[in-house]
Amino acid sequence: MTIPAFIIKNALRNKRRAALSILSVAVSLFLLVTLQVALRELTLPPEDVGAALRVAVRNKISLANLLPARQLPIIERIPGVESVTPFTWFGGKYKNEEGMTFAQFAMDAKKLRKVFGEAKMSEEEYVAFENQRNACIIGRITAEKYRLKRGDRITLESTVYPVTMDFQIVGIYSGTVDDRNMLFHQEYLDEASGLPGMVGMWWMKVTSAEAMPKVIQRINDTFANTSAEVRAESERAFQLSFISMWGNIRILVTSVSSVVVFTLVLVSASTMSMAIRERFRELAILKALGFRRRELFAFILAESFGLAAVGGLIGIGSAYLLYTYGDISKLTSGVFVVFEVTPRILAFASLVAASLGILASLLPSLAAARMSVVEGLKTLD
Amino acid sequence: MATEPIVTIRNLTKVYAQGEIQVTALHEVSLDIAAGEFMTLMGPSGSGKSTLLHIIAGIDRPTRGECHVQGVDVARLNETELADWRNQNVGFVFQTFNLIPVLTAFENVELPLLLTQLGRKERRRQVAAALDLVGLADRMHHLPKQLSGGQEQRVAIARALVTDPNLIVADEPTGNLDAHSAEDVLRALQALRRDAGKTVIMVTHDPKAAAFGSRSVHLEKGELTNA
Amino acid sequence: MALPLKYNFRNVFVRWRATLATVTGIALVVAVFVLVQSLAVGLEKASQNTGDPRNVMVARKGSTAESSSQVTREQSRNILYLPEIARDARGRPLVSADVVILVNLPRRDGTGEANVTVRGVTPMGMDLRPQVTLTHGRWFNPGRREAVVSQKVARRFAHCDVGGRIRTGGTELTIVGWMDGDNSAFDSEVWMDADEARSAFDRDNYSSLLVRVADTNQMAALAKRIESDKRASLRAEPEIAYYSAQTRTAGPIRILGNFLATTMSIGAIFAAMNTMYASVGARTREIGTLRVLGYRRRSVLLGFIIEGVILAGLGGLLGCMLALPMHGYSTGTLSFDSFSEVVFQFRITPWLAAQGVIFAIAVGFLGSLLPAVRAARLPVISALKAV
Repeated sequence: MTIPAFIIKNALRNKRRAALSILSVAVSLFLLVTLQVALRELTLPPEDVGAALRVAVRNKISLANLLPARQLPIIERIPGVESVTPFTWFGGKYKNEEGMTFAQFAMDAKKLRKVFGEAKMSEEEYVAFENQRNACIIGRITAEKYRLKRGDRITLESTVYPVTMDFQIVGIYSGTVDDRNMLFHQEYLDEASGLPGMVGMWWMKVTSAEAMPKVIQRINDTFANTSAEVRAESERAFQLSFISMWGNIRILVTSVSSVVVFTLVLVSASTMSMAIRERFRELAILKALGFRRRELFAFILAESFGLAAVGGLIGIGSAYLLYTYGDISKLTSGVFVVFEVTPRILAFASLVAASLGILASLLPSLAAARMSVVEGLKTLD
Repeated sequence: MATEPIVTIRNLTKVYAQGEIQVTALHEVSLDIAAGEFMTLMGPSGSGKSTLLHIIAGIDRPTRGECHVQGVDVARLNETELADWRNQNVGFVFQTFNLIPVLTAFENVELPLLLTQLGRKERRRQVAAALDLVGLADRMHHLPKQLSGGQEQRVAIARALVTDPNLIVADEPTGNLDAHSAEDVLRALQALRRDAGKTVIMVTHDPKAAAFGSRSVHLEKGELTNA
Repeated sequence: MALPLKYNFRNVFVRWRATLATVTGIALVVAVFVLVQSLAVGLEKASQNTGDPRNVMVARKGSTAESSSQVTREQSRNILYLPEIARDARGRPLVSADVVILVNLPRRDGTGEANVTVRGVTPMGMDLRPQVTLTHGRWFNPGRREAVVSQKVARRFAHCDVGGRIRTGGTELTIVGWMDGDNSAFDSEVWMDADEARSAFDRDNYSSLLVRVADTNQMAALAKRIESDKRASLRAEPEIAYYSAQTRTAGPIRILGNFLATTMSIGAIFAAMNTMYASVGARTREIGTLRVLGYRRRSVLLGFIIEGVILAGLGGLLGCMLALPMHGYSTGTLSFDSFSEVVFQFRITPWLAAQGVIFAIAVGFLGSLLPAVRAARLPVISALKAV
């Protein structure tokens, strides 16, 4: 028999205890990875390919205030602006659903390819969208969720405008980070609501990343001191401003997560300490046989570390597999889209698992060092 | 002395399966124990003396044969009936005392009484009487770890006798004690027989301890040698 | 017959080193559960605590937020003289036409911006909302660009001290006072003069009407009369019902709380199980002794379950005590109903605390079940094993 074989035999002596220890470590680390990934996605929303060149313009008072359509030609004339589309929140309720699971925006269909190039559809679908007045396109996820296909008609009741509108789906796009939105014609909305002349926002593509700061500055200055002052910002900044609106909740989720992790680490550490305390009799025998303290520590550490490593592997591994290969958008009914387990998170979780292994061996090691052989032999299970 | 036997054992056999191997602990043992005896069971390790005691006390079951205690065939009772039967008919004294560490001497002795219908006051009286009999009335509120080994064992004897069973069984009660404490315990067991009229069965391998009994039975390899 | 409770209690405490980690673990699980749920409760309480039972809220049909609702001046004139509406001493109908605008304001701590609800109210509107009282400064004067901020909003947003100025779009508002909404939805609002708000934010229409009925039995009749005008497409419902339906924000918080509680409780059950298994293992002889004394299997089973429950119950109580200092602490987040910042408080209700303890007891029960079964199955003869 070798020393490692002895350690393994020892660790598995009480199989139930070993299994419970490993499982509790696995659960903790699974949760740790989940919370880390969720927090990352909450604080750093995923970015589209085209985002680097996009600018969003909203009413300076707030997003809920509209902008006059007459701003369009003025913006288009600003150097560095390649293409501009209105982008108006419709806030439609689909069927009788309480919450809205997908957003709808009215826009200029002809600008779709230029401004939101990452939304991919067939040429035929693009043409149909541009030419049909009541046409709309929807994202792949929404289409799958409601089993909608091209040619279907849908009716939406707006919570913002006093209208209920009918649309025909002419295309289903995919390729954006979150293929859920529905897009339709701004003119169709103007016509139905009888309130032309106002749009929700302006979204545009600029010619280059270098041009962006200047374009943003120009737009903001142009409409300063008019009846509709605007706030132009990069797509990234616009997204981040949304996150700021979450307020204290984010801090709260962060601190709750820390408590969660601390709790689970504590629980797993105590579980493992208990598993090792069971070995006191063996340790005393080893001591009687002439093993030195240093070697006893090695035994304890190896066992504790081993349990933590196996637990960590199961917890982190299953989280990685689930979030990488599972359909996270379906699992969370659309709250999270990407849920990427980054190498940094994997490394952090592994580090926690390793320190857990070391931490859990500390108390038993101290006790083992202090114990006399006679006392250890007396220790009852 | 009444000759009516309190325990009647007929053709009792106990076979243990130890993995693949069958070990016969008792082989066709027949024995009568009269009420009021202080019988000692002697024999070398593995002779089956403890097994016999366990079967009489209803904590182990025979493979074959009968064991009647006060007319009841113990082997035929189910788990729950057996639990109630033990509570009412047998007091058990262990080699390792087996007091509950979190309970005081008084509470340990009271424990079997909690299974009876007795009221609080009556329980108090009986516990005090039992502790008095073993000479520990002044140690009532001590925890087991505050008592010496001999005192712990005497508390255990008080616990065995508190429900007023006719039969007291003791498994190597002096095995963990020094000579002086052992004598205290043995005298307490003698007192049970003499003052309370109990039947006492004690397993021991110590001839000096056996000398305290009224009759001695020897077992060897699962069979009686001097029935 | 059950084992005496003091036996179970003392056993929990005598092994305090082993149980401490488990009790602390369960306490933290319960604290997290109670805290997260108390946010949801706080949000719901804030909306449920809003409104006067005699008031009816009129808004555009289909709109989910006051800020996206529109009521034209003509519609509002038509409603003004409906017979069910109460009148004041001078015969004026108790109706307030409000305008609600969302305004993006920078946070006081510099962590970004958020939408805040600005409500343009008439003097009548203030009378109709007796929950709101002035705490600092004075009320705004009609015809001036002045505003009164809820003190809870003021603590969270920049330039909101009395005398401060908030700039939004081309408009500058001077803060002349702080108000308190008595833990209602009005605690999340900024108030100013209705006509001034309409001119400052360029609104022709009102957002909503608040109407007092003369007799609460006539509420349904009034609502029916208002909604029967199909062309106007308005919806009327009791103010209290309108606000208490605004609970969409609390939903995801509850889901988060339940998710955390479920996952963490699995870990806690493992911990309790381990502690209890260790306890059973260490007390093998003791359990056998109890059986020899005549205790039945089910008494042993019950005894160990009770121990697990005591252990976890202690954790639950400790968890509630850990969470309790946060009770009443004010916080804010984006409301899914109004799309603006909603300020509310952690609310640890007795029922919520009870839920926490029940939750802990469930963990203790599940965690001790298998160890207890093992204890009950131990053979009587194990009493004689020298371990």
